[in-house]
Amino acid sequence: MTFLQFAFYFFASVLVFAAAMVVTIRNPVKSALFLVLAFFSAACVWITLQAEFLAIVLVLVYVGAVMVLFLFVVMMLDINIAELRAGFTRYLPVGGVVAVLLVVEIVFVLARTFSPQQFANPPSHAADYSNTRELGELLYTTYVYPFEIAAFILLVAIIAAIALTMRARAPRKRIDPVRQVQTRREDRLRIVKMKSASRTAHRDQQDDAS
Amino acid sequence: MIPLSHYLTLGAILFALSVVGIFLNRKNVVILLMSIELLLLAVNLNFIAFSHFLQDPAGQIFVFFILTVAAAESAIGLAILIVLFRSRRTINVEELDSLKG
Amino acid sequence: MNFASLNAAAARAEIFLAVAACAILLLGVYGDQARRAARCYGLSLVALVIAALLNGLDFSAANGSAFNHMFIADPMAKLLKIAICVLSAAAFVYGRQYNRHRGIFESEYYVLGLFAVTGMLVMASANHLLTLYLGLELMSLCLYAMIAYYRDDRLATEAAMKYFVLGALASSMLLYGMSLLYGFTGSLQLSVISSVLTADAATAAQPQAAIALAVVFIVVALAFKLGVAPFHMWVPDVYHGAPTSTTAFLSAAPKIAAFAITMRLIVGGLNALPDIWQQMLILLALLSVAIGNIIAIAQRNLKRMLAYSTVAHMGFFLFGIASGNAPGYSAALFYVLIYALMGLGAFGVILMLARPEYEADQLADLKGLSKRNPWLAFLLLLLMLSMAGLPPTVGFFAKLAVIHALVQSGLLWVAVLAVLLAVIGAFYYLRVIKLVYFDQPPSADPATAAQTTTTITEGDIAVSPAAILLLSCNVLAIIALLPWIHYLIAICNEVIRRFAV
Repeated sequence: MTFLQFAFYFFASVLVFAAAMVVTIRNPVKSALFLVLAFFSAACVWITLQAEFLAIVLVLVYVGAVMVLFLFVVMMLDINIAELRAGFTRYLPVGGVVAVLLVVEIVFVLARTFSPQQFANPPSHAADYSNTRELGELLYTTYVYPFEIAAFILLVAIIAAIALTMRARAPRKRIDPVRQVQTRREDRLRIVKMKSASRTAHRDQQDDAS
Repeated sequence: MIPLSHYLTLGAILFALSVVGIFLNRKNVVILLMSIELLLLAVNLNFIAFSHFLQDPAGQIFVFFILTVAAAESAIGLAILIVLFRSRRTINVEELDSLKG
Repeated sequence: MNFASLNAAAARAEIFLAVAACAILLLGVYGDQARRAARCYGLSLVALVIAALLNGLDFSAANGSAFNHMFIADPMAKLLKIAICVLSAAAFVYGRQYNRHRGIFESEYYVLGLFAVTGMLVMASANHLLTLYLGLELMSLCLYAMIAYYRDDRLATEAAMKYFVLGALASSMLLYGMSLLYGFTGSLQLSVISSVLTADAATAAQPQAAIALAVVFIVVALAFKLGVAPFHMWVPDVYHGAPTSTTAFLSAAPKIAAFAITMRLIVGGLNALPDIWQQMLILLALLSVAIGNIIAIAQRNLKRMLAYSTVAHMGFFLFGIASGNAPGYSAALFYVLIYALMGLGAFGVILMLARPEYEADQLADLKGLSKRNPWLAFLLLLLMLSMAGLPPTVGFFAKLAVIHALVQSGLLWVAVLAVLLAVIGAFYYLRVIKLVYFDQPPSADPATAAQTTTTITEGDIAVSPAAILLLSCNVLAIIALLPWIHYLIAICNEVIRRFAV
């Protein structure tokens, strides 16, 4: 067994284990951490396929950003874990059977079509080959149209996330300097001319009020 | 060397696990969202494997875009989750049953 | 390669709309809350109309492609894009008052709507698996957000979550099928995929079981996106839970975009394998028409009833695709355009009836509508007759075209079943007419009750005459188009004939 084979089968088994834990474990925090492990092992598997750029992007973007977002939301929502734990094993046997059947069917069909006779392992790239450069050149020339659409998708994600989660707070009291300097004396001060009343009448009024 | 079918098998196992995870999960929407991420990971693995064995970088480009979309998707999914939690105080899938008929 | 070889001018409608959406997003930041929302709403309508015109200018020009064959400009794409822009603009107009009463009349809502339309336009012109997927996601992500935009509503947020999870699942299935297709053919370009599969079919070198697996994944994903039984479970929940303005938006243009990707993927990409997908589509269509029409009878909620009716209509349009010949595709195109018109009209009527704190979405709310609001009652009558497919309406001719295509391709038993199921479906449409015209209005009219309990001024409640006028045009088109019906069908035939593969 070569080192490459060892690396593939090792990381592949870690990946399957981590994925199984993600969907079966009940604690969302642990689940998220297992998802990090799954992404990391997947990145290693991708490196055995000589897709170095994507492997690094997966670690940077997923483990670095998306999973942190997940963990942040999990922590922010005050979820009762004990309550979430109950009533899962009921469906587990059925689910297990379905999963196994699905895998067997797909593998049975695919293994015959994509046999090693038809798809031989390609030769390795030269030592000075840059995966990043190759993808970059394609991305900004041939694939410029999808690239622009992807940019709009990210913009939509920003708009949607802000618009949905930002709560308009109660109207704040703030000072508008423009209106402040425009005020005139008449707006603020009113001079009322009053007839001076006699002292006794004034006292009577006060008594009535109390 | 590792044959293509082993990569595809790994992809199929991941795909099946996450599909079953989505349907089995009756309690927690966050884990549903994570299963969706796994599902996309399985697809990405397929694309990269084909790209490598066909010696055609188009598959890797596709994965690049799937990663972009998945990041956007999880941002929107989590935003909806927060809105949902604010209006209901729960993310239990079984309690999301106001819509019936 | 250089910039000129991209031929970016072919995509001017998409580019214009995306840039306009960005500009409107910026303009929505300035000014006070009420005025900027109104401004963005108005500008969105202008942008949609201009985008439709940009597509209409060179409608009969020769087929062209752009961006290294990722974008295709054929008459079908242009026709669908015009319909998408116009119907989306109409949905905005109908929903304006409704949105204002529910605090979702905000600039971002309309920006998201414009981006959703951009995504649909991208789908209509997609000639590459990547652009098809990205267009689909651009549309779907905006739609999830537009449903959840009614933030304080329990039903809307729940609907958004359900739509999101099932939509993401469907996207993943689509991607899995695409990845297998890429493995078989070594290309992401739909035209190349089609020619590789055709060559393989000619030499019988095809891995039948494996390619069938890819087709199954793709068809199931499309069935999810179209809302076809047995993958329809999200449709009633989303139609019911979403704010009605978004439901109206959802019921028209996205259906046309879904038609576009079905045509591009199945008819454009997999045209060498009709014996694999034809059976599946017939089964899906039959199930869909049966389940949609039968479960709709049991509904008490008008929006849910219309959702099941959508399931049935989508099944009917799938019959056209399943017939696997040019008349069938043409009939499907005609059907989906007519359905979008009718569906939008029906939700438009609900929007006109809705008041603050009153959704007007129960069937019981329609009792005696003819006495309260004779004009809307008449519009509803026309809509229901057309949806049921009764003769003096275009709905009848749409169904007739599909049935005719089925008979032509030798699927007589399917055609007979389709007619029988359509007759069952007529029942619940006619029940709506009975409620509107023959039932007594409830003693305390809920609409007026809602008006008296809330302290909103009279001017705010009145639905704008422009919206009523537009809705009337929309609904009256159902019979006004009749003299030109052969002309319209001829356009659809011509568009399908020049459908670029």
